[in-house]
Amino acid sequence: MNNTREIKFESPSFYQRLRGMLGVDFYRLFHTPLYYIFLAIAAIIPAMILGMTTVEGGAPLYSNTWNIVAADTPLYVFNEIGEYANMNMVFIFGGIMVSIFIGHDYGSGYVKQLFTSHPKKQDYMLSKTITCAFSMACMCVTYLIGGVTAGLFTGADMTVNVGSLIIAILGKMVMSLGWASLYTFLNVIFRKYFGISIASSFFFGTGILIIGAAAVIGNSSSALLNIFLYGSSVNACLSSNIFTLIICVLVSVGWTLVYNLLGTLVLSKSDVY
Amino acid sequence: MDAIVIRNLSKSFGQKQAVSGLNMTVPAGAIYGFIGENGSGKSTTEKMICGLIPKSEGSIRIFGNDHTDAKVRAGIGVLIEAPGCFPGLTVWNNMMLQATNLGLENAEEQVRATLKLVRMEGSASNKYKNCSLGMKQRIGIAMALLGDPKLLVLDEPLNGLDADGMRIMREVLTDIVKDGEHTVLISSHLLPELQKIATHYGIIRHGRMIREMTAEELSEDCPTFVALRAADMRRARSVLNLHYARVEEDIEREYLRVYDAESPEEVVKHLYDNSVTVSELFTERIGLEEYYINLMEGRK
Repeated sequence: MNNTREIKFESPSFYQRLRGMLGVDFYRLFHTPLYYIFLAIAAIIPAMILGMTTVEGGAPLYSNTWNIVAADTPLYVFNEIGEYANMNMVFIFGGIMVSIFIGHDYGSGYVKQLFTSHPKKQDYMLSKTITCAFSMACMCVTYLIGGVTAGLFTGADMTVNVGSLIIAILGKMVMSLGWASLYTFLNVIFRKYFGISIASSFFFGTGILIIGAAAVIGNSSSALLNIFLYGSSVNACLSSNIFTLIICVLVSVGWTLVYNLLGTLVLSKSDVY
Repeated sequence: MDAIVIRNLSKSFGQKQAVSGLNMTVPAGAIYGFIGENGSGKSTTEKMICGLIPKSEGSIRIFGNDHTDAKVRAGIGVLIEAPGCFPGLTVWNNMMLQATNLGLENAEEQVRATLKLVRMEGSASNKYKNCSLGMKQRIGIAMALLGDPKLLVLDEPLNGLDADGMRIMREVLTDIVKDGEHTVLISSHLLPELQKIATHYGIIRHGRMIREMTAEELSEDCPTFVALRAADMRRARSVLNLHYARVEEDIEREYLRVYDAESPEEVVKHLYDNSVTVSELFTERIGLEEYYINLMEGRK
């Protein structure tokens, strides 16, 4: 020990830290079957809904193929399941996927490696949010492919305002960021209780609180609910315009900041086991 | 410069005080054996060093910097309890994941070299969940070694290792600290194994450091004794009690120990003079394990 020299350390920049953390999350995402299973589920579900409801003898759920993506108008209160079952379902699948994804971090003990080399907890929140938002955005794409393919096979009506359709799809993809931050936050809170993590993600993902609130205040006044994630997700519909997309961006980014700050605070005060 | 300097460190979980006013100094370049009974606060201290649990009070400095500093934390390799690996991924993928986490430039090359170091290169394609306990420990050590960390924090790394695994571990750790730039903090209940490599020791009890010493100081504190086995052990003991102040019986190994003899020849002479035949005789120094047990039981 007589040859001990002074040791210099280099402080990693924010970019280096985030790159390392994102590298881990994307590596895991692409190397686990879970991601591909959920992409497949996102593709199969709209195809099944569209295929089954149009080949049955009764009235079809949708008069138009694109209703599998979004309703014609923002329907915060819905009368039948067809008005609810659209691309917003991706956020429910996404919630379950995020719970499993983050649950594995804690279940495997890998967080010990992560938090030893990454002391800044916002790196974790940010990285998980970005990775999970990416996976949900990918699910939106496979959902679209599944829905359109089924629509083509069943010969359902394809008439649509293309601009509004693109905005609706983009709006929902943008909302993935906000939803991912919510699920990351929930899973950080319930990190020791995997079952509760999944249940809470499912609960919030269904938007049941917003639907309940909309039922009380009525559809006409429900635009106020657009400040919430589910509200904005519903607002991205087949009559959307550029303002709809702007609202989606603002709401999604706003909630992402809130949930990331809260999650960072929770993690900073928590023990890692 | 010291690798770790801890002052007045405390941690409580609700009403339970896990660590209480702990002081600890780990010199750079040391292999520091961190010893204590179950629940004494070893793992809690190690987790606080790594930033996995926030401290209640006190300070932890690593190479002169606060332990929460991102730049020093990037230079710590850990194996706390069990390796944090994803069971469904292969050994190689788990290692690559850690290399990515550390932002290593030549990740594949480093992973290959580290796996070779712990003799796991042939099992790289195995799924982690299919590995044996000993293999998992080696993978955990390999993960901790990735990126050439300046400080290694290893909590019970010897658990589950076979004789060959322990030998490899000893070689790896002693090689690492040779340059004086690397430091190892290692806790283990396998004290004879620890004694083969540790240069410094810290003994913790009820969350407090009760003794810190170098290997040389331990050696000075561990007396040598003459051990013998005689045909008539009872008679041998009564003869030796007449000449020596400290004669003890090692019940487990069926030896008599004479601590204050000048030489083995002198002991044999006393027994021979009293017609006691000696069948086995050797000198030995008490080990870390016995030293530790004596300390815990309040014996000198």
